[in-house]
Amino acid sequence: MKAGAIVFRKEMREILRDRRTLIAIGLAALATPLVLFVISQVSTRTVAQAYTVGYTGTMPAGLDVLFNATGLNLKLVDDPAEAAKQQVDIGIVFSDKGLDEYYDPTRQIADIRLQAILSKYDAAKVAASLQAKGVDPSVLNPLPVSVHPLSSPAQAAGNSFLSFFLPYILITMSLTGGLSAALDTSAGERERKTLESLLLTPAPRGNVLIGKILAVSVISLVAAIAAITSMLIALSQISFGVSQGEPAHIGLSPLAAGVMIWLAVLLAASFASLTIALGTLARNFRQGQAYATPLYFITIFPASIVLFIPDFNPSLAYYLIPILNAVLVLRDVIVHGTVAWTALAVTTLSLVVTGAVCFYAALRLFTREALLVRS
Amino acid sequence: MEAAVRVDRLEKTLGPNKVLRGISLEARSGEIFGLLGPNGAGKTTTLRVICTLLGPDAGSVDVLGFDTRTQPEEVRRRVGVVTAEIGVYPRLSARENIAYFAELSGILDGEVSRRVDTVIERLDMGSFAKQRAESLSSGQKQKVAIARAIVHDPPVLMFDEPTSNLDVLASREIRDFMVESKGRGKCVIFSTHVLHDAERLCDRVTIIHEGRVVAGGPTAEVRGRYQDLEDAFLSLVEAAR
Repeated sequence: MKAGAIVFRKEMREILRDRRTLIAIGLAALATPLVLFVISQVSTRTVAQAYTVGYTGTMPAGLDVLFNATGLNLKLVDDPAEAAKQQVDIGIVFSDKGLDEYYDPTRQIADIRLQAILSKYDAAKVAASLQAKGVDPSVLNPLPVSVHPLSSPAQAAGNSFLSFFLPYILITMSLTGGLSAALDTSAGERERKTLESLLLTPAPRGNVLIGKILAVSVISLVAAIAAITSMLIALSQISFGVSQGEPAHIGLSPLAAGVMIWLAVLLAASFASLTIALGTLARNFRQGQAYATPLYFITIFPASIVLFIPDFNPSLAYYLIPILNAVLVLRDVIVHGTVAWTALAVTTLSLVVTGAVCFYAALRLFTREALLVRS
Repeated sequence: MEAAVRVDRLEKTLGPNKVLRGISLEARSGEIFGLLGPNGAGKTTTLRVICTLLGPDAGSVDVLGFDTRTQPEEVRRRVGVVTAEIGVYPRLSARENIAYFAELSGILDGEVSRRVDTVIERLDMGSFAKQRAESLSSGQKQKVAIARAIVHDPPVLMFDEPTSNLDVLASREIRDFMVESKGRGKCVIFSTHVLHDAERLCDRVTIIHEGRVVAGGPTAEVRGRYQDLEDAFLSLVEAAR
């Protein structure tokens, strides 16, 4: 294994002198807080934003008070259906039969607020009518529900936010953080015409490859952890609503941090083997980049899945799927604050096997004669 | 004299091309052995099989008694190869480039620095040893390539068209280095199609054409009745067609 250590040392020295890799890691670490700042500003403004309701007809008494209290400004218009297309956020026609609403389904916040107002208005009117007739309004609610959320809405929103962004950044940075180094140490070795000299040394090729994979893994890991650390620092400075009278900030529990680092190690090693295998297949750096491009799509899809199916409750078999399993384990530990150890064990097994398969593929490519003949 | 490198009925196919068709040759310690032939004759493939980068399809190669098929790592410890491709690691200094190969060649940790210093001095590289390789000239890079090939002091040195990308001065230094290595008792194998160089430097030559040996022996003997080696070469290659 001494040869592996020699190659690792040399690769690290070269990587640390390569501006491309360092700039990529630095930019990712700097860009994350900026992106989060923009997202928090947009989400804060969305919550506080007032919407305009264009209406015609006679508005029932008292409803205007509810509108104003919910951030919905009323505006009298000639044609609410037409006005809802551009001029206002929602159009309403009050008539004897009730209310006609015109809205754009792609812009739902104003509609949600309107529905909440109308529900409250209906309930208040019904309760008043029943009371006037001497009937207890509670008959309308035969099964009263007391809600006890296990975390504050602000904390839940924060966890939900983190359960999407953290796996996303972890996976994309584990892949892209070391990509340049991986291609440089594989395709670049061939392009620079140093490969033949390297293979002429008595060092076992498997050990040489291990040294390269270790170096790329370390860089991927550093890139992922740098981006996540900067994200967490940024999140600690941004308020996401109020929890128990205090501004709510998002943080990572020690358990989640430990799980994240463990998964980062496994992902970095797998991606390093995979990208080096692809780079070994390529004749030059540029071709290597072309080969690696589909990886972005393959990895970003599972990383984004939590956004589309936040309540997805997977069976253990899902934890066998590489990358998706890391996303699910991280989501569980962030949202629920606990680790399903069996799921983590299956995930670990799956990622170790994936890494081993990628390493075997890289080794096969690295030791075949065509590697030299093609160059 | 005992052969340092022995190639016996070597055959090799690369893709659809049968590149070597039963090459046999012997190169000895303390001589410069010329491997001559036109482009595509199989010179580089022969050298690549000798240094274990490629495996033989048939026949055998042994280097100082070690079979390339069964003991490739032992062979690689005893061989140094200089090619026309002077690829170096651009972000490492000349010295770091050499030290990297010294370490990979199995030189003991305490010895690496001394060995590297020795080759730097021997090749007169002191003025640029600490410079990053990306800033070196072609001649300086070629010196780095030679230094890394000899830093483990191999008894067999192979030069594959080493001067094809170099200017007159740098080419001269390479030739001088080959002669010096011969004087140190090394087996020097020199593959080239520059017959003028071969005639001046080589003690013995083998001419190959389309994967077959068409002539071999002491340089003067191969030249025979012709005015120079080039005439002999052209005549032999023509006859083999």
